[in-house]
Amino acid sequence: MRQKSIWYLLIAMLTFGLILAACGGDPEEFEEEEGGDMDDDPIEEDDDAADDDEDADNGEDGEGADEGDDNGEAGEPQDGGNVNVAMYSAPDHQFNPIYYQSSYDNNILEFMFERLYGQDEDLEFYNILAEDYELNDDQTELTVTVRDDVEWHDGEPFTAADVEFTYTAIADPDYLGVRQSYADDLLGYEEFNSGETDEFEGVEATDEHEVVFRWEEPTVTPEYETGFPIIPEHIFGEMGVDEIEDAPESSEAGQIVGTGPFQLTEYVEGDQYVLEANENYWQGEPHLDTVTWQVVDQAVMTGLLQSGDIHGVFEPDGIVPADLEDVEELGNVNLYQPQDLGYQYMGFKLAHRPSQDVEDGVHDTDNYEPNEKLQDVELRQAIAYALDREGMVEGLLHGSGQVLHAPFPEASWAYDEDAPVRYEQDLDQARELLEEAGYEDVTGDGYVEDPDGEELVLNLEYPTGNEARERAALVIDENLEEVGINVNVAQPREFSAHADRVEYDEPEMDMYLMGWSLASGDPDPANYFESHAPYNYTRWVDEESDQLISDATSAPDAFEMEYREEVYADWAEHVSTELPMVFLWSMVNNFAYTDDFGGVTENPVNMYNDTHEWYIAE
Amino acid sequence: MYKYILRRVLVFIPMLLIVTVVVFTLASLAPGDPLTGQTLDPNIDPEVLEERREAMGLNDPPHIQYWNWLTEVSQGNLGDSLHYSGRTVEELIISRVPNTIYLAVFSLFITISVGLPIGIYSARKQYTVVDYTATTFGFFGLSMPNFFFALIAIYFFSFQLGWFPPRGTVSSTSLTGFESFIDRLHHLILPGITLGLSSTAIYMRYIRSEVLDVMGSDYIRTARAKGLTERSVLYKHTLRNSLIPIITLMGFEFGTLLSGAVIVESVFSFPGMGQLFLVGIENQDFPLIMGINLIVGVTILAGNLLADILYAVVDPRIRYD
Repeated sequence: MRQKSIWYLLIAMLTFGLILAACGGDPEEFEEEEGGDMDDDPIEEDDDAADDDEDADNGEDGEGADEGDDNGEAGEPQDGGNVNVAMYSAPDHQFNPIYYQSSYDNNILEFMFERLYGQDEDLEFYNILAEDYELNDDQTELTVTVRDDVEWHDGEPFTAADVEFTYTAIADPDYLGVRQSYADDLLGYEEFNSGETDEFEGVEATDEHEVVFRWEEPTVTPEYETGFPIIPEHIFGEMGVDEIEDAPESSEAGQIVGTGPFQLTEYVEGDQYVLEANENYWQGEPHLDTVTWQVVDQAVMTGLLQSGDIHGVFEPDGIVPADLEDVEELGNVNLYQPQDLGYQYMGFKLAHRPSQDVEDGVHDTDNYEPNEKLQDVELRQAIAYALDREGMVEGLLHGSGQVLHAPFPEASWAYDEDAPVRYEQDLDQARELLEEAGYEDVTGDGYVEDPDGEELVLNLEYPTGNEARERAALVIDENLEEVGINVNVAQPREFSAHADRVEYDEPEMDMYLMGWSLASGDPDPANYFESHAPYNYTRWVDEESDQLISDATSAPDAFEMEYREEVYADWAEHVSTELPMVFLWSMVNNFAYTDDFGGVTENPVNMYNDTHEWYIAE
Repeated sequence: MYKYILRRVLVFIPMLLIVTVVVFTLASLAPGDPLTGQTLDPNIDPEVLEERREAMGLNDPPHIQYWNWLTEVSQGNLGDSLHYSGRTVEELIISRVPNTIYLAVFSLFITISVGLPIGIYSARKQYTVVDYTATTFGFFGLSMPNFFFALIAIYFFSFQLGWFPPRGTVSSTSLTGFESFIDRLHHLILPGITLGLSSTAIYMRYIRSEVLDVMGSDYIRTARAKGLTERSVLYKHTLRNSLIPIITLMGFEFGTLLSGAVIVESVFSFPGMGQLFLVGIENQDFPLIMGINLIVGVTILAGNLLADILYAVVDPRIRYD
């Protein structure tokens, strides 16, 4: 008897589990889709790979193909079908533009919400929800006429009031998000945000289709600042701004209302997200029936592209550099490789904040304690000359990057090839500079001493999490050793620990590795280069730089693009001479999509423009 | 017996408290907080982040934060996640539990249905080809890293043969009823086998040595001397006595059931507790970390208790009075 009961128990446990599994199936009934492509037979589409040998040159047309549309592979646009796009991490499920933080959430948002302005492949602004706009002469007031033929997903008309509502929400005292930068230069922000008044002067819907933005100071980037995704007032208007974050209309499939070409209708959390076409889309009904986002592990990405299970992988991931060669060999895949706007750099801690200021969160340049080790500009330049940055890009990034000379990547209009000083690796030049500045090896240990004859050891700190950057630290150490600079490379720290040490000015830190991911809107570097800016982590205090940065955005000269270009060129030269940091590289994004996936607009900052034109060839 | 169980359950409470204190201390000793990652975007004003910290209570001293958390928990509330804006920890955990249980139960099923029979068989046919094959397989299973096996399995069974889907939990959200069940099962097979591989090997080795051990004991000789059939000797006498270590193993396994399997989950895009926990740790989302720890702690303790009770069922010599 006894031994039977134990087996019963075992069996009971197992069946219980399986019953659970069965019950947990789909709670909601949902009509069959004819989408067809979501079947689970991955091999079926494999023949695509074979008959496309003549297209093996796809790898090349990446950077050149500026128009993007219609790469010819997929033929004429066709209606119907589904496209599977991949992301490497799951979204956080905050699908409200004013609250989302993860770029994976943004992947979904881009299909559902629209802005007044978008940016084309040259980063020029063009109208989306805006029909027309007029800027007054001193650039403090922008009057936007919005389209009158746009409807929200639920059929309500889109109006200027929605624009006013969106900006008022961001400026609201109860707002819990981090997108204030879009609203905080608008007129009356302080008063409204502190709760002194209930009226936000900065944005006003003057009639059903006209909205006026007003700024405190003249603005040089009106389209950028007014280009925030618009959320519906008729959905969120009744809620407190702090309640919007938790509202089902900000996270649940089928309840999120935007104006975009697709709508999130179904998801399996952490697995897949189905966006269904918006039949009433104002630019015309999308070709596709559905777009399905699938969460995919990096390690199987290449295989999924080859088998046709996945049709595209774009922002924020792309193909990892190490897989690039394999993907190029597939033959059924188009690659588009724009330069990323962010970059990696090695910062010199030119000064540290005193610990009292760190504690109080104060950034007072008068209190900065200069880091004596790094005050000689010749030393910094020598370091730049000693580094083999070309080699890092080739070796560590598998070529998927570009050496950077100033904080403006090629994609930006502020980029000027000739402006910055370029430090090609030149060990002799580095040694010469050191010698001129009085850095000599007095003790004969192979490392230079500083001009006072004191031992010079530079502490370099770096974080984990970005493999190329981690390995760069070791290359830097080796490069500098060759010219006799003694670097003490610390054990890498976990990113947030490292970020804290950088931000809180750890006294023994001399050099650190870090990166910036930059928004596309405007190249203005004030936030992270002005002497008193908290994000000026190098604590570089330089009047000329501050002056140039402020000139570049000061009325009225800065209204002229050419003037700004000139100022930024001057600034780039100044920065690259003074070298508060050595710019290492900017990444190249490896966006990939299969041949049968057409209508993709190649754009360096947003691959999800005009998704209503996407189509799939059968 | 009931008294014993009650006593054990009462002991759980201080144990869980100690676990939470340790986890919380470790989490609060780690530098950085959930907002540190956002300092990468220079468009976000640091003052705004500071306000958010204040609002989330991150600026409070750790013991206050712990106390606040404990008060919430004692009211049956695991709190709001710091990383996932607008979501509660319960909600997040509940969304991952089903996948985790399917995967764990399925791999346990494979472990038992493959590991035990092979183990028993190879004990009975010791030093035969079958035994050697099984032993070799056992070492292979133990030494093969999950990640590597997963990739090989995907390559052969998905990409080459097309038998199983390479990723995900369902092939379409529109399936219902029995179709949906089969579809889920279909998606479970590769991750389940991958996850079950090493424990299959462990179970096999354990049961083999245990059966060999028991078969050499006096009471088996007595049973044989009484003229019982070999079948009866094996199933009635040997097997039951060999199960004790397996029950211990299963007790642990049951306990870790809810903690998920990070690597298998991410390679197969099979979202479960393991991934959730990882996200929590990466973003220092302490309510999430604590919530998962609490639940995993409870299941581990419950699993051990269950194993202890089962000992008494299997082996009459063990009594808890």
